[in-house]
Amino acid sequence: MNYAMVKRLMLKDWYLQRWAILGSLVGVVVTLGIIATGGKVAFLLGLILLIMVIISIGAQMPVATIVTERKEQTLPFVMTLPISYWEYTTSKIWGNLLIFLVPWLTMLLGSVALLMYDPKTHGLIPYVAIMATEILMSTCLVLCVALITESQGWTVSAIMAGNIGVNAIGYLVAHIPGIAKGMWGPAVQWSSAASVVLLVEFATIVLLLSVTFFVQARKKDFL
Amino acid sequence: MNDLSVHFEGVSKNYPHFTLNDISLELPTGTIMGLIGANGAGKSTTIRILMGLVHQDQGQVHVLGRAMPQEQAAAKLDIGFVSEDMRLYGSATLAWHMKFVRSIYAQWDQPYAEMLLQRFDLKPPQKIKGLSHGQRVKAALLLALARRPRLLVLDEPTTGLDPVARQEVLGELMAVLADEDRTILFSSHNTLDVEQISDQITFIDRGRIIASDDKEIFLDRWRRLRLVLPPEADLPSLPGVVQVGGSGRLPVLVTNRFDAAMVSACNDAGATVQAVDPMTLEEIFVANVHSRREKQTV
Repeated sequence: MNYAMVKRLMLKDWYLQRWAILGSLVGVVVTLGIIATGGKVAFLLGLILLIMVIISIGAQMPVATIVTERKEQTLPFVMTLPISYWEYTTSKIWGNLLIFLVPWLTMLLGSVALLMYDPKTHGLIPYVAIMATEILMSTCLVLCVALITESQGWTVSAIMAGNIGVNAIGYLVAHIPGIAKGMWGPAVQWSSAASVVLLVEFATIVLLLSVTFFVQARKKDFL
Repeated sequence: MNDLSVHFEGVSKNYPHFTLNDISLELPTGTIMGLIGANGAGKSTTIRILMGLVHQDQGQVHVLGRAMPQEQAAAKLDIGFVSEDMRLYGSATLAWHMKFVRSIYAQWDQPYAEMLLQRFDLKPPQKIKGLSHGQRVKAALLLALARRPRLLVLDEPTTGLDPVARQEVLGELMAVLADEDRTILFSSHNTLDVEQISDQITFIDRGRIIASDDKEIFLDRWRRLRLVLPPEADLPSLPGVVQVGGSGRLPVLVTNRFDAAMVSACNDAGATVQAVDPMTLEEIFVANVHSRREKQTV
C-alpha cells in the first residue's frame, strides 16, 4: 500500500471540496447556536436543521468525490496516476469518512455538551448517540453504494434509503422500552438495549466497509 | 523482453457485445506506434488493458517490464497518458494540477513544463472550466509530458481539435521524438495524424489486430494498379491482391505485395498497366479492413 499516494488523493478531494466542507462546519455551528439559544421551538428547529446539514454533507461528499468523478470523466486522470484500485478505494473511504467525522463529531460533541448543560435533558444522551451513529451508518451506506456502483441513480437511492432509515430507526429506537424509559429523565441511563443497538450499528458500519473493499478488490474494469 | 516497452501475448477480453480477441503486440523501446481502428474496434480497450485499468481475461501483458495489471502502480510511474475522454478538474486551476502532478512524479521537469506553457499558450492561474477543448487537451498533454515518461500513451488525443490546435499537438509530439528512449503508443481513427508521427502502424478491427508493420513497409507495398485488359482476356494472377474493382475491361487491383516485376508480369499477360498509384494510410487501412471482413464473411 502506497500510503503517500493515498494521502495525496485524500488531500486532493478535501481541497476540491473545501467550500462544501467549510459550509457544513458553519452550518453545524450555526444550528448548535440556534439550539443553545434555549426554548422548545429553537431546540426543535435547530435539531432538524442540524440533522439536515449532517445528512447533506454525508450524501454530498460521496456524490461529489466518487460519482461526479466518473460522470465528469476525471476518473481516468486519477486512475492513470501511479495507484492501484485498492489504493483508490482506500483513499475514497478514508477521505470521505475523515472529512465527514469533522462535522459529525462537532455535532455529536456539541449536542452532548448542550444536553449536559441542562440537567433536565441528560436522559437524551444515549438516544442522541444512537441517532448520531445511525447517521454515520447511513453515510457509510451511501459511500459503499457510490464506490461499488459509481452510479448516480443507485447512490441517490441509497441516500433516500438512508434518510428513511434515520426516521424509521429514530422512531423505533424511541419506542424500545429499555431506551424510552429513561429518555426524558434527568440522568443518563445506558440500558442494555441502548448498548445492543449501538453495537449493531457499529457492526453494520464495519460490514458495509468490508463489503466495499471485498467487492472493489474483485472488480476487473475500472473505466 | 528488456527492449520492449509493451508486450501483449494472446490477450483476450470478453464483454457481452464485444470481444477483444487474441491480441499479440510488441512495441520496441524508442518507437512510435500508431494504433488505427474504426470507432468500437478495440483501441481503447487495448489501451485500458495496457494501463491496468481493465483486466484481461486471458493472456500476458508486460509494460516497461512490469506485469499488468498486478504491477500497474509501479508501471504507471513511467507512463504518461492522455485520452480524449479524460478530463481535468474544472474547478481547479492548471497551476494546481501542475503542483498536484509534480508532487507525485519525482522526475517532473519544471523548466520543460514552463516551456510547454509558453508553446501551448496556457496560463497557469486559469481554471480548467474556462479553457477551450483544445486548451484542455494541451493542458493534459503538458501534465503527461512534463513528468518525462518513458512511455507515452495517447488515446485519440486529437479528436475534436481544430486544425491549428491539432497541428500544435502533433508538432509537440514530433519534438518529443528527439528523445530516442521515449516510446509512444498513439491511437486514432484519424490516419492522417497517425501517418505524420508514427513509424510503426497497427490496424485493429472488430477486436482483432489485422496488420502490424513499419509504416514505410505499408506505404511501399500497397499499390493500386489500373489495368486495361484486351477483349476476352483474363485478369493476370498477381501476388497479394486484396481487392478487385473497376469494370470488366478496366479493372483496378489493390495489392499489398507490390514490386516492380508486377508491371512486367501484367504486360506479359497481355494487360496494359495504365497507372500504379501509391496509397495513403487511410486507403490502406480501409482496403485492409474490407478485405479481412470479406474473408470472414466467406
